[in-house]
Amino acid sequence: MATERSEGVTEKSGPYVAFVRWMENLTETQFAYFLLTPALLLLGVVAFWPLLQTFQLSLFADNITGSATVGNFVGLENYVAILTGERNALMPSPFLPETLTVGALFTSALTVTLIFTITSVFFETLIGFGQALVLNQDFKGRRWVRVAIIIPWAIPIVVQGMIFYLFFAPNVGLFVGEGALSLQGLGILSDSPLQTAQDSTLIVIVADIWKTTAFMALLILAGLQSVNRDLYDVARVSGASPWQRFKMITLPIVLPTVLVAMLFRTIQAMRVYGIIEATNVGCNTLPSLSCLVISSFFGGTRLVGTAATVAFLTAAVIALVVMVYIVFYAQEDVE
Amino acid sequence: MTDDTHASTSAHDDGDAQGSESLRTGGGDPVRAGGGTQTGSARADGGTRTGSARADGGTQTGSARADGVGTATGPAGDAELKRSVVQRWVDSTISDPEKAYRAMFYVATLFFLVTTLFPFYWMLVVAVTEGSNYALLPPTFTLAPFVEVFVQINFARYMFNSLFLATATTALVLLLASLAGYVFGRLRFPGRRPLMLLILAISYFPPAAFFLPLFQLFTGNVFPWFELYNTPGALILPFSSLFMPLSIFILTTFYGQIPDGLEDAARVEGTTRLGALFRVIVPLSAPGVATAGVLTFIAVYNEFFFSFLMTDGGAKDWAPIVGGLIQLQRAGQFEVTFSVMAAGSIVAVLPVTLLVVIAQEKIVSGLTSGALKE
Repeated sequence: MATERSEGVTEKSGPYVAFVRWMENLTETQFAYFLLTPALLLLGVVAFWPLLQTFQLSLFADNITGSATVGNFVGLENYVAILTGERNALMPSPFLPETLTVGALFTSALTVTLIFTITSVFFETLIGFGQALVLNQDFKGRRWVRVAIIIPWAIPIVVQGMIFYLFFAPNVGLFVGEGALSLQGLGILSDSPLQTAQDSTLIVIVADIWKTTAFMALLILAGLQSVNRDLYDVARVSGASPWQRFKMITLPIVLPTVLVAMLFRTIQAMRVYGIIEATNVGCNTLPSLSCLVISSFFGGTRLVGTAATVAFLTAAVIALVVMVYIVFYAQEDVE
Repeated sequence: MTDDTHASTSAHDDGDAQGSESLRTGGGDPVRAGGGTQTGSARADGGTRTGSARADGGTQTGSARADGVGTATGPAGDAELKRSVVQRWVDSTISDPEKAYRAMFYVATLFFLVTTLFPFYWMLVVAVTEGSNYALLPPTFTLAPFVEVFVQINFARYMFNSLFLATATTALVLLLASLAGYVFGRLRFPGRRPLMLLILAISYFPPAAFFLPLFQLFTGNVFPWFELYNTPGALILPFSSLFMPLSIFILTTFYGQIPDGLEDAARVEGTTRLGALFRVIVPLSAPGVATAGVLTFIAVYNEFFFSFLMTDGGAKDWAPIVGGLIQLQRAGQFEVTFSVMAAGSIVAVLPVTLLVVIAQEKIVSGLTSGALKE
């Protein structure tokens, strides 16, 4: 039937049939690359080209006064200057902490990003595991509990930021000043928590945990549901308590899934930017790695070369973290 | 002490089968294995012989525990009759650990529900409170901010921009990812794995690593005749490349699962290659396409980085809701009340909330398959 139709078309439009015939005569490899062309073209222009270009920019000096984007070719000088701290005077915030005081740790891009990432991923895993265990039960209304848990994950980052802004901004915040649940009386938060490095880091961490725990929970839930139920029955007959069942059956089977989920979350957390802007904390108070790229680029002094270098260093740091996970994962596999 | 007395309590007050069983076995763990028959008899006894069972309980427990913890259980026995509901519950829980786990489950569920939903509640409180007396229960009630947000800034246009950008990106991504997913899922050709890894590698780089050259390109600094800044293109292009890898991945999995026979049959019937793809393969993998579509839509609607940086933030600049809400926030409480900010946020959340309620199964399956099947 289809043949008849395409023959019918033959008489009307020559080029179309020629095209179809040309495509039918392609080998499988040619056909594969033909279909991939649009996707690869888009990714090439909007992803691969910018990546290479960013790397190239990182090899050139900043051009602060001139009209050109960057200055002379300087090789790896930008990387050296940023990592040794020589560039700190020019940059909005240092990449590495200058000293090992608490204040310095919260104002340098790398350490504050690591503090954010480690804390939030840790708690997301813990709470996500709890949520997954709850969702893994059969109970009435489970569907709606699941919806409730997913919703924070599905809302725009700017709304997430607005919520936590409305929690902590002066004159409105529930947790500050005259708010009903003010934490300042307990000495936990300072007078303007959104403007101090430590407090704002804490707020952003809590905001991140609130939003992305659901992602963790869903991945762990998938892992939980792949556990063979018979194992539990065997364990129950042998008299294992629920805790023992959890420790001896659930945990070992789910651990690889948890590691993968943690890896995904870690990669995302290392790029944190949106929530910092959306809570009105701003990149000056909480200079994450992505923040540093943007504020070097748009800041008062135009540091294009430096910004590109920080962008690449960010990618390198993430690669390092990914490597740690892969090694850990491989070890788990061997055991 | 509690451990000591639980057995007698449950025997007295509940006449509970398990309780009396545990008495007979010396007050230890409830014997569940032989439960079937024993329970029957115990229950039958319950009605008539409560008195004797009570006496039994009192003495037996006393003697059984005397060597371990035991002090006088007898006198305590009468006082236990008047114990509170909570205490009784605690006691029966100790005899039946499953009950404790069930309770933990309800507490945990309640905790998770409160922590995830409370922030929305606070936003609602701020939105409907008149004046600035924000309290856990709004002292006053008004819906005016929900109107005002559309008057003060062109919020309808921002919403339109967001929905348009999300829809357009989703369409583009689904079209390109359908082709790519078909290729990776169903065709064997040299370079398949390296290409897939290359595409996956994109999702690992931080957006900041793409941003500088793209910003230069879109603002016309690379080619003077090419400028996309403040147009939908400046957002749709980065969004597509950012979120396409996940869709390709989901669709590869779905396409790979369709039996070869179906496609072969269509080809024998005389369909063209593309005809087989769009008339046989795509309809069969509709759930996968829907999943990829929903996830892409949500991801684009929620995106911040490019949404914030690739436009000047005005409604006419094709800025999505990010532009509108940030503008409200930065204007400060003396220009824009907090209520209006909260109202805007609530309006912005509605479309995705609806999508989650409708398509939660798709979201769950898409997230897990996209992330776990490497």
